Amino acid sequence: MKLGKEEIQKLVLGGLLVIGVIYCYFTLLLGPLSRRQAATRKGIEDLGPMIAAAKAQIARTADVERAAPANMEATRQVTSMIPDGSPVAWFPPRVGDFFKQHGLEKSTTRLAGEIVEKEMVGFRRMSWSIDLPKVAFVPFATAVASLENEEPLLEISGLQIESGRDDLGSQRALLTVSNYVKQ
Amino acid sequence: MSLHLNLYHEVIKAKALKRRDPLKLTMYALSAVVAGFAGYYVLQAVKLHSLNSELATVKEEFDKLDPASKAAKAREVELSVKLKAGNLLVKKVENRFYWAPLLEQIMQVVPREVQVTRFVGDVSGEGPRRCALSIDGLSAGEDARHVAETLRTAIAEKISPQHKNVTSKFRMLEDGIEMAMLDGKQVPTATFAINVEFTSGEEPAPEPTRRKR
Repeated sequence: MKLGKEEIQKLVLGGLLVIGVIYCYFTLLLGPLSRRQAATRKGIEDLGPMIAAAKAQIARTADVERAAPANMEATRQVTSMIPDGSPVAWFPPRVGDFFKQHGLEKSTTRLAGEIVEKEMVGFRRMSWSIDLPKVAFVPFATAVASLENEEPLLEISGLQIESGRDDLGSQRALLTVSNYVKQ
Repeated sequence: MSLHLNLYHEVIKAKALKRRDPLKLTMYALSAVVAGFAGYYVLQAVKLHSLNSELATVKEEFDKLDPASKAAKAREVELSVKLKAGNLLVKKVENRFYWAPLLEQIMQVVPREVQVTRFVGDVSGEGPRRCALSIDGLSAGEDARHVAETLRTAIAEKISPQHKNVTSKFRMLEDGIEMAMLDGKQVPTATFAINVEFTSGEEPAPEPTRRKR
């Protein structure tokens, strides 16, 4: 069969039309659709680990919350030992009463300062100086032992005992102590 | 044989030409291709729709979980800070330095020939505590200096089993100008000042590290 000039022109035209249709299909229709599919798939894949992490976080917190009462029991016990109110109001009388019970009538307790401890959230550490102007060594040492045993939140950081020039049997004692109080 | 004349050959030729019109044939082929493409496109669009639905479900779940997760994290931080502070407080209570046993030990090693006139003690540091003592006094005896020396070594020996890095040194040791009455005899004296240093307590245990899976 021999194609005429007009037929060849039509064939070329048809071919161009096919190419145009295919190009438009892939560029304008299927391409954007595929891109949207890929983006949606990526979105689903990205959210998967985030959901898993969120679930794991919730489960972990639930575990911590379940274990918290038992773990905080010691803290609760310690906190219950600290009286409410300003430490300056209750600590010096408490120390004075304590030493009176041990036969040391005279004692003066003064606030020396506050030690900042950032890790101790909810607590403050107060520093005090306790002056005992007339003590005998053995009763004083016994009182120190009792103080250390009965006041677990108190620590003696400095201790000074000096014998008097006039009365060698009695000494002057100065204690530097720190104790934890509620914030 | 009869003569057969085809008087419609022009018409037949035109019909044949019309039947095999390339443009028409191309249009048929193109229609088929377009139909195929359209079908595939519809299939992909349906798939995209189902993916969108899945994404919406997942997003909805995440939107619900995200605030809860953030609140849980904040609560965990709050609890862990409280727990840490509580544990630290308990640890500090347990690791306190006790003076009473130390005073007892020193009292045990001070002989009757020695009068301690001043005792100063300081404890500092966290974990292993650094403790410094200063003991001033008066020793009496035929060899008052030796009495003071005996006290110095006795203090170090007494403290060493319970504490680490014990050092006991004279800051000052001088013959005294006064005489002391001991067992009815006048004996010479010496004034001394002893510095004692030691470390008490253990190094804090390192934080346990999480194993990598």
